[in-house]
Amino acid sequence: MADTSLQHRDGEAAAPLRRPSRVSALLHRSEALRGYLLMSPTLLIMILGIVAPFVILLAMSTWTRQGFDFDTTFTLANYERTWNEPIFGALLSRSFWVSGVATVATVLLCYPMAYYVAFHVHHRKMMWLILMTLPFWTSYLLRVFAWKVILGYEGVINSGLMTLGWIDKPLEFLLYSKTAVIITLAHAWAAFAILPLYVSLEKIDKSLIEAATDLGDGPVARFLRITLPLSMPGIIAATFLIFIPTTGDYITPALLGGPDGAMIGNFIQLQFGAVNNWPMGATLAIVLMLWIAAIAAVFLFVTRKAQEKIA
Amino acid sequence: MARTTFNTGDTTLMDVLDQLGELQEGKLSRRKFTKNLLSAGVAIAVTPMASRKAMAAAEDQATFFTWGGYDIPELFGAYQEKNGELPNFAVFGGSEEALTKMRGGYVVDVSHPCNSGMPRWVNTGLFQPVDVTRLSNWSDVMPELVDLPGNTAEGGNVWMAPFDWGQTSVTYRTDLFELEGEESWDMLWDQRYAGRLGSLASGGDAWWCGAIKAGVDFDTLDSDDAFEKIAAVMREQRPLIRVYTDDTTTLEQALAAGEMVAAMTWNSSAVTLKAEGVPVKFAKPKEGALTWVCGLMIHKDAPHLDRAYDVIDSLLSVESGKFMINDYGYGHSNRKAFDAFDEETLVGLGLSKNPIEILQAGHFQRPQSQEWETRMNELFEQIKAGF
Repeated sequence: MADTSLQHRDGEAAAPLRRPSRVSALLHRSEALRGYLLMSPTLLIMILGIVAPFVILLAMSTWTRQGFDFDTTFTLANYERTWNEPIFGALLSRSFWVSGVATVATVLLCYPMAYYVAFHVHHRKMMWLILMTLPFWTSYLLRVFAWKVILGYEGVINSGLMTLGWIDKPLEFLLYSKTAVIITLAHAWAAFAILPLYVSLEKIDKSLIEAATDLGDGPVARFLRITLPLSMPGIIAATFLIFIPTTGDYITPALLGGPDGAMIGNFIQLQFGAVNNWPMGATLAIVLMLWIAAIAAVFLFVTRKAQEKIA
Repeated sequence: MARTTFNTGDTTLMDVLDQLGELQEGKLSRRKFTKNLLSAGVAIAVTPMASRKAMAAAEDQATFFTWGGYDIPELFGAYQEKNGELPNFAVFGGSEEALTKMRGGYVVDVSHPCNSGMPRWVNTGLFQPVDVTRLSNWSDVMPELVDLPGNTAEGGNVWMAPFDWGQTSVTYRTDLFELEGEESWDMLWDQRYAGRLGSLASGGDAWWCGAIKAGVDFDTLDSDDAFEKIAAVMREQRPLIRVYTDDTTTLEQALAAGEMVAAMTWNSSAVTLKAEGVPVKFAKPKEGALTWVCGLMIHKDAPHLDRAYDVIDSLLSVESGKFMINDYGYGHSNRKAFDAFDEETLVGLGLSKNPIEILQAGHFQRPQSQEWETRMNELFEQIKAGF
C-alpha cells in the first residue's frame, strides 16, 4: 500500500500534468458527462430501484402461471385477457373515476386555501402553511382509519345527525362505498395539492394583477385572465401528484370501499396473494401504468391548448 | 381461524386516541400497535413489515405465523415460562395468502394451516414432519383429530399437529333478525336484510358455505357443475352483502352496532359478542355448518427448531385449551382441556369431548388440489368484484 502510493506520488511528480489533465480535459469538454457524474448516486438508485424491477415486471407479465411456478415462454395472453374480460376494464374505469373525482375535488378545495395564503397572508406565511399541512404529519393509515370512524355506522357524522334529530337511522352509504373512498382520498392527499398550488400562486407578479385592474378588468376577469393561467403549472402539478398515486391506491378502497368500492390496486394485490397469479398481477400493473401515462399525456395536451387559447 | 383479542365494544376511535396518547408518551408497543392495525383489517399490508421487525426485536424467539387472535400471551404460558418471552408473531388473514407468502421465501418457525389445505402445504416441500416424541402433551391429543387424510409422515410422525377445531356458520342478532322457520344458510341470502349481511372474505370459508347453500356435495366439489352452481349462489348473495372481510373485529363491531343483522363467522365471534351482552346466536343451520380442524406445521428451514416445538407444546397444553374453549368457543385437541367444563357448557358452545361427532354432523372440509384452490379463488374474487 505504502509503496504504491509512493510510486503514485513519484509518477505525479515526474509528470505532474499528464494524468489530471486528461481527465479534467474530458470533463471540461463534455458537459453531459459532468451532469451524469453529478447525478450518478441518484441514477444508480433509479436503475436499481425502478428500472430493474420494471424490467422484471415486464418480463413476468409475458409469462404464465403454472401452479406455484411460472412457464416462462413468451406470450401476450395476459394482455389479451385484460382487453377481453370486462372485469379488468370495469375496475380500471372505476379506479380512474374515483381517483379523477377525488383529484378534482382536492384541487378545487385546496385552491382557495393556497390562494388565501399566497395573496392575503402577509406575516408568518410559513406558519400558515405548516398549520395547513399539520394533519398530514400523521400516518396515511391513521387518517384512513380516522375516516372509517367518522363515516361509520355509529360514526361521528351519523351519531351527530341522529342527535340533532335530522335522521332516524344511520346513513349507510357513507361507509363501504365509492363515496367513502373519494372523500378519504380527497382529504388524505390535500397536502400534495396545497403546496404546489401555493408555490405557483406565490410566484405571480402582483403588478400584473394591478395592471389588469388599471386596464378595467373586474375581479372575475382578472382572475380568469391573469391568476388562473399563471397558476396553471401548480394546478397541473397538483393534479398529477394526486391522480397518479390515488388511481392505484390499495388501502383506502380495501378498508372503506366495500364490495362496490374495490379498485384496480386491490385486484392487483389479490393476484399476488390469494389468486396466486403473479404474471397477471404484473400485467395489470403495467396496463395501469400505460393508462395513467396516456391519460396524463392527454391532460397535458388539453391544458396546454387551453392555456394557449387563454393567452 | 382469524380471531381477535380485542374488546369489540371499544370503538376504533378510542383505539386511535389511546395509541396517539401512548405514542406521545413514547411507550406504544409494536405488538399492540400492529395488533390494532390488524383489527381494522390491514393484516395483509403490515404483516411482512411487522414480522421482520419482530425478528429484529427478539431474534432468538421462534416466529409463529398464524391467524389474527392467536398472537396473545394466554396461549403461550408454557412457552413464556421456559423461554422468558413470547414468540414473535406474524399474522395472516387467509391460509392461501400465508402459503403464497412462504412460497415467496418468507421463513417462519411454525405456521397454522387447516385440514383442507394441509396436503397442499405438504406438497410444496416447505415443511418438515413434526417429531411427536418431542411434544410433552402429545399423549393427550385426541387421535381422531390426528388421523386426517394426508397427515401421516414417516416414522409415526405427523405433518400437522392438530390444535383447534370448530365451525363456520351464521352469527345473527336474535333481536333484529326475524327468523322464518328453522335456522338455515338461507339467512345470509335473505332479501329482507339486503345490505345488512356480512361475510368472511376468504374463499376458504365462503365458497364452502356457498356449496352447502347450493346443495353441492363436497365429494363433487371440483366438477364444473359444482363451480357453476356455487358461483350462481355467490353471485345471488353478493348484492346483499355489506362487506366481505377477513377481519373478524369488523364483523363483530357491525353486528354489535346493528349495522349487520347476520354474518358468516367462526365460533369465536358469537362467543365474544355474547360475553359483551350483545343478543346474538351462533346458528345451527338445518343444512349443517361448515366444520374444520386447524393445526401446526413446522417450516423446513425453521431457524429455531427447539423453540418451534415449544410453541406447539404450549398451544397443545391444557391451559391453552381451556382458554380456547372458554374465551373463543373453539374445540381444542387436548382431551384433558375439556375436563374443566361440564357437559351443559360444552353443548351451549356447540362443542363436545367427542369432536368427530360435531365435525361429522356438519360438512367437514376436505383437501382439494392446488388447481381447484386457484380456480376457486380466482372465480370468487371476480364474483366479489361484481362479475
